[in-house]
Amino acid sequence: MSASITNLELLSSESHRHLRLRPASSERPHFVQIITGEFAMAAASCPVLFTKEAATGTFFAGAMFAFKPGESFLHEEGDRGNGFIPLSLQRDGFFIAGEQIAIDRNSSRFSETEGEPLFDGTNQPGIGLRRIQRALGQLKAGLDATDRFIRTLAELKLIEPIDIQLNFDTGGERLTLQGLYTVSLDGLRTLSDSAAGRLLRAGYLQHAYTMSASLEQLPVLARLRDQAIRRTLSAS
Amino acid sequence: MVRPVRRVVIVGGGTAGWLTAGVIAAKHRSRMPAGFSVTLVESPNVPIIGVGEGTWPTLRSTLARIGVSETELFRECDAAFKQGARFARWTTGADDDSYYHPLMLPQGFMQLNLVPHWLAEGGDRSFCDAVCPQGRICDDGLAPKTIATAEFDAVANYAYHLNAGKFAPFLQRHCCAKLGVRHVLADVRRVNQSEDGDIRSLETEQAGEIEGDLFIDCTGFKSLLIGETLGVKFKECSDVLFCDTALAVQVPYESDASPISCHTTSTAQSAGWIWDIGLPTRRGLGYVFSRRHISDDEAERELRRYMGSAGQDLPIRKIGIRSGHRETFWKRNCVAVGLSAGFLEPLESSAIVLIEMSAKLIAEQMPVCREVMDVIGARFNATTHYRWGRIIDFLKLHYVLSKREDTAFWRDNRLPETVPERLQDLLLLWKHQAPWFHDEFDRIEEVFPAASYQYVLYGMGFRTEVEPDALSSDASLAERAMRENAMQTERLRAGLPRHRDLIRSIHERGLQAV
Repeated sequence: MSASITNLELLSSESHRHLRLRPASSERPHFVQIITGEFAMAAASCPVLFTKEAATGTFFAGAMFAFKPGESFLHEEGDRGNGFIPLSLQRDGFFIAGEQIAIDRNSSRFSETEGEPLFDGTNQPGIGLRRIQRALGQLKAGLDATDRFIRTLAELKLIEPIDIQLNFDTGGERLTLQGLYTVSLDGLRTLSDSAAGRLLRAGYLQHAYTMSASLEQLPVLARLRDQAIRRTLSAS
Repeated sequence: MVRPVRRVVIVGGGTAGWLTAGVIAAKHRSRMPAGFSVTLVESPNVPIIGVGEGTWPTLRSTLARIGVSETELFRECDAAFKQGARFARWTTGADDDSYYHPLMLPQGFMQLNLVPHWLAEGGDRSFCDAVCPQGRICDDGLAPKTIATAEFDAVANYAYHLNAGKFAPFLQRHCCAKLGVRHVLADVRRVNQSEDGDIRSLETEQAGEIEGDLFIDCTGFKSLLIGETLGVKFKECSDVLFCDTALAVQVPYESDASPISCHTTSTAQSAGWIWDIGLPTRRGLGYVFSRRHISDDEAERELRRYMGSAGQDLPIRKIGIRSGHRETFWKRNCVAVGLSAGFLEPLESSAIVLIEMSAKLIAEQMPVCREVMDVIGARFNATTHYRWGRIIDFLKLHYVLSKREDTAFWRDNRLPETVPERLQDLLLLWKHQAPWFHDEFDRIEEVFPAASYQYVLYGMGFRTEVEPDALSSDASLAERAMRENAMQTERLRAGLPRHRDLIRSIHERGLQAV
């Protein structure tokens, strides 16, 4: 993702006729917002957790690709990420502006010379752009649905903080991760039947257990990190 | 035959009554199906005094235990954050004379006492700023947490300022809806006692006879049960604490964007001091003074001078203060909590914290049967006596340390015969040994921890002899703690939101429960 200042323009087949689309950056932020529809796929490769937006204090769900910003060991391993690319990364450079799409002209995804054309010869969206339109659509609906899921969990007091402490063999490093939250299994166990039924019908129970099970990915991620560090150390 | 204690009857529906009801009901909720009950009897006609608007950080854990939401407290009780008190003109009376008594502990307080190290480096810079970030945070008008901090959690330790008139009804709604407290609106016509002197029941105007096993007197200054019925005497302490009157006034803000102070300001006057407390909706001001030293008219002029041009026509309410407490707090099957137990000038917001502590003690040690009640009552009395004594000492400390000579009020306050013996001993000891985890604080759950004594003593220029050689073993630890403090101070000043902005955000979005 581009760290430079964004320069948003509404996408138009007229003014962006010559623009080309480059692949999304392969760089992975260590924590990426995802929607409930992505939970199962994310949980197959990494922990899915809640954290709070600093400015508003509201929860959002995310896939944790690494323990620290700038680290990414998951994908060095012949892409153990099973090809899971969150929608919010797929749409990198593209934004929803009301009923329209906006693009960040400063994003490295756009070029006049490299990549596939955004629009085909008849001024229709190309394959790449169509894929992104789909991703944006899924994301828009998915974020609302995920908010409803999170609000329901919070109302039922099913979100609890999780303090993650990791001790690494190599170098004796100790990492403490704060500001992360998960689903309270104790809370789920003591739910009334009617509340549990409501969660089940809404499909929320499945999302909740998926999140909880994804915590098993924490030691896996830690092991990968340890191995990667050891490789770097022995190489130097 | 064992006489079980199952029916708790609280008389009086102010802050004391509802806090006590909430703490007891929350603790004994699981016993309610088997017959345990908490009933609060409140007169529909008696107005609530609404003791102080300042609280201690203990209120956070008390409210969390009762199960209320902090977000709702902010929305319904005009609550604001309080990170301590700034005392102005207490030491010399000069314009630039002020210090903070913050709520955060000095850095590394559990490991070492920074006082001698601070004194060894000269003691020139503010003690508060040397050991804790909170004075600077207050100067900047910043809040003690962010919108992403969970309810009741703190980044910097805090208590609340709140609208006492809204706080009791807020607790009432929660106690009745969530905690199973029975609310009876009725005037007590007669208190019936059994032959042995225990209180057996209340005869009420509107709700007939109400029986109980344990009665809690929260009837305020009236002291209907502990005083009028059981004849426990009131012990004045006006020989130590002179203030006996308060003039209170509410001042609106210039605009709804005016900054809200995140601490209480207490400014010394000719014969007492003025409190200045910022709620989101208004400021609450009050002059607490000694009528033995100035007249009501003089006091009003001083208060109006403090207010400045704003609100010269605002109505001022006069409140009589009788400093002191009951000789006994728990007698037979009756215990007094709140104003019925006693009252002291609100210099360190001790009223609500004493209610919390008493309620917690009653809830935790709730006698199972009448037979053990006297044993528990005696314990309660010993602990509560100790607490009142320590609060009186601590309040007096503020006056004793003053160097003001300008009026008789300040000079009289330092007369040895007005200073409790225990405090005199401590002052002697502190000349050679700074307060910390030493044996003078021998009870768990002190009202004021040793840190509070440090902030007041060294904020007011008190000096303890230090022997530099005795400090060398901890010198590097102390240096690190002060360095860490400087870093933490800058970190917090950069990261905390403005006080009014956070309150607005809490009103709009709410804090998360976790």
